Amino acid sequence: MKTAFKRSIWQVALASAFITCAATSLAQVKVGVIQGLSGPPAIVDFGESYLQGIKLALKDYQAAGGKTKIELVVYDDEANPQRAVSLAQRLIQNDKVPVVIGTVSSGNVLAMAPILQKAGIPLMAGPGIATNITTQFINEKPSYIFRCSMVEKFQIDQMLDWGAKTFKRIGLVHSTTGYGNFAAKEIQEGLKKRGVELVAIEAAAPGVNDLTPQMVKLRDAKAELVLNFHESFELPFRPMPRINYKPVVAGNWGLSSQKVLEIVGKDAIEGTVMGQALDVGTARAKSFDERMQKEYGKDYRWPVVTSLGYDAAQIVFKAVNQVGKADPEAIRNAIENISGIEAVSATPAKPFSPTDHECLDYENVFLGVWKNGVVTRLKY
Amino acid sequence: MELGNLIQVLSGGLAMGAIYVLVALGLYITHLTTHRVNFGQGDFLMVGAFLLLLFRKLDIPLGLAVIAVLVILAVMGWLLDRVAIRPLDRKKDTLIGAYSWMLTTAGVALILQNVIELGFGKTSQYSAPLFSSRRDEVVQVLGAGLFLEEILVILAAVLIVGLFYGFMFHSRWGKAIQAVAFNPEAAMLLGIHTNRVKVGVFVIASILAAVAGVLIGPIVTINPQMGLVLTIKALIVAAIGGFANPVGILIGGILFGVFESISNYVDSGFGDLYPLLAALVIIAIKPSGLFSERSADVR
Repeated sequence: MKTAFKRSIWQVALASAFITCAATSLAQVKVGVIQGLSGPPAIVDFGESYLQGIKLALKDYQAAGGKTKIELVVYDDEANPQRAVSLAQRLIQNDKVPVVIGTVSSGNVLAMAPILQKAGIPLMAGPGIATNITTQFINEKPSYIFRCSMVEKFQIDQMLDWGAKTFKRIGLVHSTTGYGNFAAKEIQEGLKKRGVELVAIEAAAPGVNDLTPQMVKLRDAKAELVLNFHESFELPFRPMPRINYKPVVAGNWGLSSQKVLEIVGKDAIEGTVMGQALDVGTARAKSFDERMQKEYGKDYRWPVVTSLGYDAAQIVFKAVNQVGKADPEAIRNAIENISGIEAVSATPAKPFSPTDHECLDYENVFLGVWKNGVVTRLKY
Repeated sequence: MELGNLIQVLSGGLAMGAIYVLVALGLYITHLTTHRVNFGQGDFLMVGAFLLLLFRKLDIPLGLAVIAVLVILAVMGWLLDRVAIRPLDRKKDTLIGAYSWMLTTAGVALILQNVIELGFGKTSQYSAPLFSSRRDEVVQVLGAGLFLEEILVILAAVLIVGLFYGFMFHSRWGKAIQAVAFNPEAAMLLGIHTNRVKVGVFVIASILAAVAGVLIGPIVTINPQMGLVLTIKALIVAAIGGFANPVGILIGGILFGVFESISNYVDSGFGDLYPLLAALVIIAIKPSGLFSERSADVR
């Protein structure tokens, strides 16, 4: 009798242990992250900043007592599309992640997105900004491709609306990369629709060190506004004192980086305009900014990119927590239906629908301007 | 093109050309003497720029900081020869051994990039002007605005080429270098310490990279990846010049820098395409470079 009692105690203990283990393993979900963490400096700035936001979101998720344990599997795509593709395959086949976040270079996102779509693994794209990242999959039933980042067309449209109203003579300098050429095409088409012709279009190779010749041409064309869509955001500013030319510069959201401020200088960057999705005037953004500064010190350099990384991750983590297991289909559905998001960026509380997989819509994007070393909302 | 614009564009091209000249001179001297070049010559320049940035952040006086950069780079040149080149020369008669210096010097370049990334991060850095507290202080030369460092780098390139010329063709050391270049075994029989000459040229090349690194910081934005493009352009400059004499390198560098600048003024749409095409045409017409001797190198 005593032996039978002892045996049943052991059986109960063992069964409990198994159940606990099973519950623990069920409640642990890996989230894949692919980011550009090495390669050209601009890519690294974007990748590291977005990842900082993801990591802070995980910390907050854990602190809030999320019931599903989440583990990040982070890979560096080195700004190389082939590597991004092989990392996506590795995340699907080896790490068996049910959801992926990434990456910086739009070319890399567009290279790996079809693989994830085919495998039925949701992708939260970011901080890549090419316009067509989600739209080219939105008619798939269902689309697994979401994005939490700036959208190139929205920031360009906002900028052209303002530029066409405010300036008579607009010039453009862009890089000769795929990104730069694509942006140049969108700008030219956008201005044409608004009845404005660019007074000068200049380009520069990605590794170039001096833009004096291009800026001399823009000066001679009397461009009052120079649209800057070169990945080395600081380049157009350097020749300005030499050629005695001080146009208003406006461009990619990259111009809001603290790194650009440090390199260009507070005086030279004053008045520079860029696409934005983070209003530092809000209490939530201010408290986020303070926390990030405390967390990352001088390595924290890009509030808007970090905030979108944070929001992308909090959406994914909330969806994973709702599902409670590594089920890609259920996580996709949860992401699409997610609501009640308290975003740091301009992302709305219910960002997605079956026909819209973008965190930011046109009305959420606005223009920021450097004023006394801080990016504030441009009023016009 | 208006005269003012022409001078402005030319001066920018001259400054960049001068940087290429300083890097290419390093390639020239090591190639002449040892038939090897440091594929990390641009990365040595990058290290020089970052070291100066570090010393200035530590509030070390500029003169002392520059001397420290030159000394550290000289030691790096010595180490490069002793660690990455000479040990493999013992296997030079084998197929792999003969060209292993390409891999080892490129490997050292990658290591340097990674070390700098670990210390400074992977992103771009601002390097303050050497002689001004303001970023926008320019000197007017013939109606063109130039940063002081740009004038300095042009002067440095011309001065160093002049010194190099005198050193190579009119000094005992220069003659020793030429003797080793012509026939190391014969030079050794004549009492020249060939290993010392070989390590000496790598030290000289590294010091040249240091000079360029000190002067380039305030002209461009520095980042750990900047070395490769400079090495490639310096190799083109050395090829145009003909790997033959310092004056050829100077003219090759200035031609490339100025052409790069003017082509960007005329049509910037294709980036570096025109200067690279021009270099290709020159090398196709005169494969040994503009200033090389016509006779074959029979070493």
